Amino acid sequence: MTTHADETASEATTDTSNWTNWLRTKIVGLVPPGQALPDRQPVYVASWIYVFGVLTLASLVVVIGSGCVLAIGGSAWWHVSSLGHYVNSVHLWSVQLLFGFMVIHLWGKFFMAAWRGERALTWISGVVLFAVSIGTSFTGFLAQTNFDAQWIGGQAKDGLNSVGVGAWFNVLNPGQMLMWHIVLLPLVLVALTAMHVILVRRHGVVPPIDAALEG
Amino acid sequence: MISKWPSGGRRRDNTPDSHDFPTRPYDLVKEFAIALVVVFVLSVGLAAIFSSPDEKPITMSAWANTEPNDVVLTAVGELAGTTTSATYGPPYNSAVEGQKLGPLPLQKWGGVRLPVDSAGLVVEPLSNVSGDPTLTAALSSWNTATPDQRTTWATAYADAIGAPAADGEPATGAGGDPGGVAAGDYGPVPALSAAFLQLARTGGLEGALTSSGNFYGGDTTKSLLLLSDGAYLEDQARAKNLAGDQWGMMNEAGNAPGQPWMWLYTFWYQVPPFSNSDNADALVWGLMMVLTLLLMFVPFIPGLRSIPRWIPLHRLIWRDYYRNAKHS
Amino acid sequence: MRGLSIVAEGAGRYIHWGVIQISQTNLIIIGVMVLLFVLALVVPFPSGHGDHRDEQGRGR
Repeated sequence: MTTHADETASEATTDTSNWTNWLRTKIVGLVPPGQALPDRQPVYVASWIYVFGVLTLASLVVVIGSGCVLAIGGSAWWHVSSLGHYVNSVHLWSVQLLFGFMVIHLWGKFFMAAWRGERALTWISGVVLFAVSIGTSFTGFLAQTNFDAQWIGGQAKDGLNSVGVGAWFNVLNPGQMLMWHIVLLPLVLVALTAMHVILVRRHGVVPPIDAALEG
Repeated sequence: MISKWPSGGRRRDNTPDSHDFPTRPYDLVKEFAIALVVVFVLSVGLAAIFSSPDEKPITMSAWANTEPNDVVLTAVGELAGTTTSATYGPPYNSAVEGQKLGPLPLQKWGGVRLPVDSAGLVVEPLSNVSGDPTLTAALSSWNTATPDQRTTWATAYADAIGAPAADGEPATGAGGDPGGVAAGDYGPVPALSAAFLQLARTGGLEGALTSSGNFYGGDTTKSLLLLSDGAYLEDQARAKNLAGDQWGMMNEAGNAPGQPWMWLYTFWYQVPPFSNSDNADALVWGLMMVLTLLLMFVPFIPGLRSIPRWIPLHRLIWRDYYRNAKHS
Repeated sequence: MRGLSIVAEGAGRYIHWGVIQISQTNLIIIGVMVLLFVLALVVPFPSGHGDHRDEQGRGR
C-alpha cells in the first residue's frame, strides 16, 4: 500500500483491503442512490392500502416509547400508580394497533403478490417479524406480575415443554421473561424492521401485477 | 446502461424494475409523521377510554384461606408424587418421557434442566419453620422413611380424603374433607399437610419457594408449579373464560381485548384429533410451525403464490394504473 | 381472615357458534380490521395523477 501525501481527505481511497472502505461500500450500496428517502414514488403507488406499512412502523415506535416510560417506573410501577396503570394501557392498546395494522399490511401485500421481482426476502422478513412480534407480546404478558401472568405461564409452559423448548426458555421465570421482552426481543425486532424497510427501499415498491413498461 | 443494482432490468418473473416507472412527488417523512400522530392519538385515546386489566395475582394465603381443602389435597399429592408437576417429565423430572411429535421425543430431548422435587415443594418450606415440635417430629419421620413408605402413607391419606361427588360419580373417601378422614396409618402426612396449610394461611409460603434460592426471588417456577397443581388457579381462570378449551389463548379477563392473532393456534386445540390427544401440545406446535413456514415461503410455493391472481383484489388496488395503461 | 378479592372480574361477553367461542371485544377488533381493509381497497386515494408526473423512469 502506497500513501499519497497530496490526496485530500475528501477523496475516498479504493483500497479493497481497507475494512472501512469495505463497510462504507456495503452501506452505501444497500440502496440505489437517492432511494433511501426519495421524494418521488412510482405513479402506481396510489391506494390507501399502502399506508398500513407505515402505520405498523409508527405503532412500533409508540409501543417502544410507552415501554420505555414503563421502564422508568419499573416492573411493579403500574400496579401501584394510576399514572403507571395508564401508561400500561397505552402500551397495551398500541400493541393492539401494531398487530391490527401489521395484519392488514400482510393481507394487502399478499393480494398484491408483493414478493415478485426478487422481493422474496422482503416477504420472508415480514413473516418473521410477525412471528417475532407474537413472541415479544407473549413475553410481555408473562412479565405482567399479575393473575394473567400466572395463568398464561402455567398454560404456555405445556406447549413449550412439549417440544423441549421450555427447558431453556422458562415461562415461569418472570425475571427471565421480562428481560427477553425488554432487551433481547426488541433488539431483534428493530434489526429485522430495519432490514425489512431497507429491502423495500432497495427494490422499490412492487409494480402492479402484469404491469408492462410503456415504450 | 447496465445497472449494478439487482433491480435493474427484467427478472425471471418478468416483473419490471419499479425505478423505470413514471413517478410523482411524495413526502415519505411527512407520511410517517402523520402516521405517528394518528397512532399516538389512538393509543392514548383508547387507553383513556378502555384502560387495561390488572387482576391481582393469587397469593398462597388467599388460596389457603379460600380453598383450604384444595391446598391440603395438593400438598398430599405432592408428597405422594401424583400431582401434575410430579408426573410431568422433562424439564422438571424424569417421571415420564413426555410428549412426542410423531416419533420424535422432543420433550425428552429438552432434558431435565429445571429439576423440581415435588415432595420438596411441601417439605422445604416446612423445614424452615421452627418452634413447632409436632412438625419437627413429622419432618424427621418423613425424612428417615424409605421412598416406598412415603408413597404408601401419602397415597393412603389421599385416598382417605377422597373427593366430593361430581359429574354423576359418588363421593369417595371423606368426600374431599381432611377433617372427616377415617383413622388409618398415614404416618406424618396428616401433620405435614396440616402444617403446610397453616403456613400458607399465615403468609409464610409467599416467596418461600423461590427458585433462585436467595432473598431476591425473581424466579417463581416452584411457586407456580405448586399453584398449578391445585384446582384453584384453573377454577379462577375458567370463570374468566381463559381455559384452553374455552379458546382461552385468545382471551383476556373481562371485556378487555385479548390476542386475536392467536386464533389459529388455539383453534386446533378445540377439534379432534388434538382435543383428545396426549401429544396435543407437540402436535399443535408442529402443525403451526409447518403453517408458518408455508406462509413464509409463499413466494416459492406454486398454487399458494397464485392466489392473488385467482382472487384479484389487486385490480382494486391498482385500478387507476390499469385504467391509464389501457388507454395509453 | 377471608381471602383477598381475587375474582375482581369474571368473564366478559362471549359469542358461541358451534365449536367457536370468541369474546365480543375480539370480534369487534377483527370486524374493524376487515372493514379497514375493505375501505383501503375501495376508497380513492388522492394522488393528483397527471400533474408533476415525470414521464421518464429512473427517478433520482
